[in-house]
Amino acid sequence: MAGQVVDLYLNQEGTFNEWQTFLQSLGISNFSTTETSVIDETVGIFDGDRLVATGSVSNNVLKYIGVCNQNQTQGTYFNMIVTELLARLAQRGIFHVFVFTKPQYSQSFQHLGFSELAQSADGALLETGDVTIQTYLDTIPQLPGQSIAGIVMNANPFTRGHRYLVERAAEEADAVYVFVVNTDSSLFTTEERVGLVTAGLADLNNVLVVSGGDYMVSYATFPAYFLTSPEKEITYQTTLDARIFKNWVAKERHITTRYVGSEPRSRTTAIYNSVLQRELPPEVAVKVIERRSANHDVISARTVREMIAADDLTHLAVLVPDTTAKYIQEHLTDLQKRIKKGMKIDGN
Amino acid sequence: MTESKERLRRTMMFVPGNNPGMVKDAGIYGADSIMFDLEDAVSMTEKDAARDLVFEALHTVDYGDAELVVRINGLDTPYYQNDIKAMVKAGIDVIRLPKTESAEMIQQLEAEVVKAEEQFNLPVGSTHLMAAIESAKGVLNAPEIAAASDRMIGIALSAEDYTTDMKTHRYKDGRELEFARNMVLHAARAAGIAAFDTVFTNMDDVDGFKRETEYIHQLGYDGKSLVNPRQIPMVNAIYAPSKKEIKDAQNVIAAIEAAHQKGSGVISMNGQMVDRPVVLRAERVMRLAKASHLVDQEGNYIEK
Amino acid sequence: MEIKKTALAGTLESSDIQIMLSKGTNGIQIDLDSEVAKSFGDDIRRVITTVLTDFNITDVNVKAVDKGALDCVIKARTIAAAQRALDTVNEPAWEVL
Repeated sequence: MAGQVVDLYLNQEGTFNEWQTFLQSLGISNFSTTETSVIDETVGIFDGDRLVATGSVSNNVLKYIGVCNQNQTQGTYFNMIVTELLARLAQRGIFHVFVFTKPQYSQSFQHLGFSELAQSADGALLETGDVTIQTYLDTIPQLPGQSIAGIVMNANPFTRGHRYLVERAAEEADAVYVFVVNTDSSLFTTEERVGLVTAGLADLNNVLVVSGGDYMVSYATFPAYFLTSPEKEITYQTTLDARIFKNWVAKERHITTRYVGSEPRSRTTAIYNSVLQRELPPEVAVKVIERRSANHDVISARTVREMIAADDLTHLAVLVPDTTAKYIQEHLTDLQKRIKKGMKIDGN
Repeated sequence: MTESKERLRRTMMFVPGNNPGMVKDAGIYGADSIMFDLEDAVSMTEKDAARDLVFEALHTVDYGDAELVVRINGLDTPYYQNDIKAMVKAGIDVIRLPKTESAEMIQQLEAEVVKAEEQFNLPVGSTHLMAAIESAKGVLNAPEIAAASDRMIGIALSAEDYTTDMKTHRYKDGRELEFARNMVLHAARAAGIAAFDTVFTNMDDVDGFKRETEYIHQLGYDGKSLVNPRQIPMVNAIYAPSKKEIKDAQNVIAAIEAAHQKGSGVISMNGQMVDRPVVLRAERVMRLAKASHLVDQEGNYIEK
Repeated sequence: MEIKKTALAGTLESSDIQIMLSKGTNGIQIDLDSEVAKSFGDDIRRVITTVLTDFNITDVNVKAVDKGALDCVIKARTIAAAQRALDTVNEPAWEVL
């Protein structure tokens, strides 16, 4: 009889070490605190006293899946671990689930009903659940025209720099999709960010603001955008993110050009831009637009957040459009409260 | 599914109620009783799914002559009533109540079973009961529990919770279970029902398992609870009667037949009256001999 | 009738089937993943559809990942998923069982 799936409490040092040693023996090597600290739950299977299988979840992403198939019908432990993790997420109302894995394990997940979204030499990203990328794409109307531009932004918050980038695209292309990052992990909530982007672009009638869903710079596809990660990790994730954009989003909605702003300040975004330039052409062109400056520095949403934290809005109007400025002034105390509560402002 | 009072119960195999592979194959190993578990083997979030699975399996899978038992969730859980209803509706042979501590718990269970039998238009009395004893209190009340209802067919010792309650744990020699084993066995015998010993979970310790089974066989237990089908032939081998036991039993049966032919109400053998316990033992030995394939259909000993 | 919420039942282990029900608007739509879909796909779909119909569920999306389940297992898992999706786990549908 196969063993039972049990909870592993990684905050116990002995358990953590046993878990880490087991995964290391299977070739998993990244145990940085940024990766392990976001784990919500971990389960395992023991054969006698020996750990033989484990898996974890972080939000809606399966992580650290490792199985030793010695003395066991191929896949039995793997199926038990994945079943248990999906059941636990279902208990929390999470049914749409992603997994990053090595390319050679993609097939194993596909046997369990997962579909592959993208693959690279280093990894594969798969999803399963009650909705799929097709469900998401079906919610986006097709814009008319020959040349269609796409821009992905977190807009935390929407600045004159963002506005300039969209204006350039709207002049050059027939129509523009602005995808707003959907992951709610920034100072400005997703609802606020979408609201400010929509308000700030209301006068441009060939621009459509839509949610980036779980597929563009989301916690699932590109966790390094929200965590501090090593360069290798960022390249690996952004490659998959870029391929999803190219093979699904751009293909389905006939997007011909991706617009990005040049990136002198954020290392993560700079790597992302170079990966986009490597991955998207020739099917999708990449246009890098020189960032707008104000007061001898590029306009950056981070500067805006720093002004909010410093309680000094003197130069706010230079950096953001009126719609954003008005919102910040009206909600200043609330935003400052979020920062005091620990919301980081130095990331993205 | 068959009649329940007098039958062989050497092996009661535990089957996790939410595992379709094991539920579907439970009948192929030749266990005398199959116990589908809705309790400890099923996590809280899967109680409903396990109940549905066992229900549908009972309706469609052919388990041959095995006695079908289900361990429901305890009286103090929110699953208790629906477990009873579903299993009565499915026509289960025996409902096993975990953590039984008093005769009242059995009477309460019986009242629920009667309600369910009436609700689903089943003959009242068709569902039998058994109790698992898992605490000091349960052991001390075992005689009343065993005699609590006409529906009772057996009483089982469950050592894991019992040893925890006794502030000890299981040892290889089983001395920590001596009193409980004897108490449960006496309660069963006094009430005229079956006694089941606890499970032995270390599958790697085959010698330990054999030793423990020989010991409870010697005490007089009807059989043992099992967690793995590989344990079934080992138990059956230990419960197989000897050639001499079979010969003696055959003589008793012959004496009964001779008495019948003479139209005599008194059975005698070698000038002695054969009383009821001897007759019952002979019948049991012959059932064991047949189940162990030591005699043919006519009851003749098969020389090996 | 529509379901109240997305629900999952069953496992990905051998001899089982995992059933996920989510809100749909276009009848009973079944996305079946099974190694035996070619030979038994229609049978599996029929068992699922029958149970859902017994629950009066008319519009639902079904994602089913089959690992070689018998009909009685498919029925049991669909029942469990349906009761979870309808939020009626504590009141078993005796007429459907």
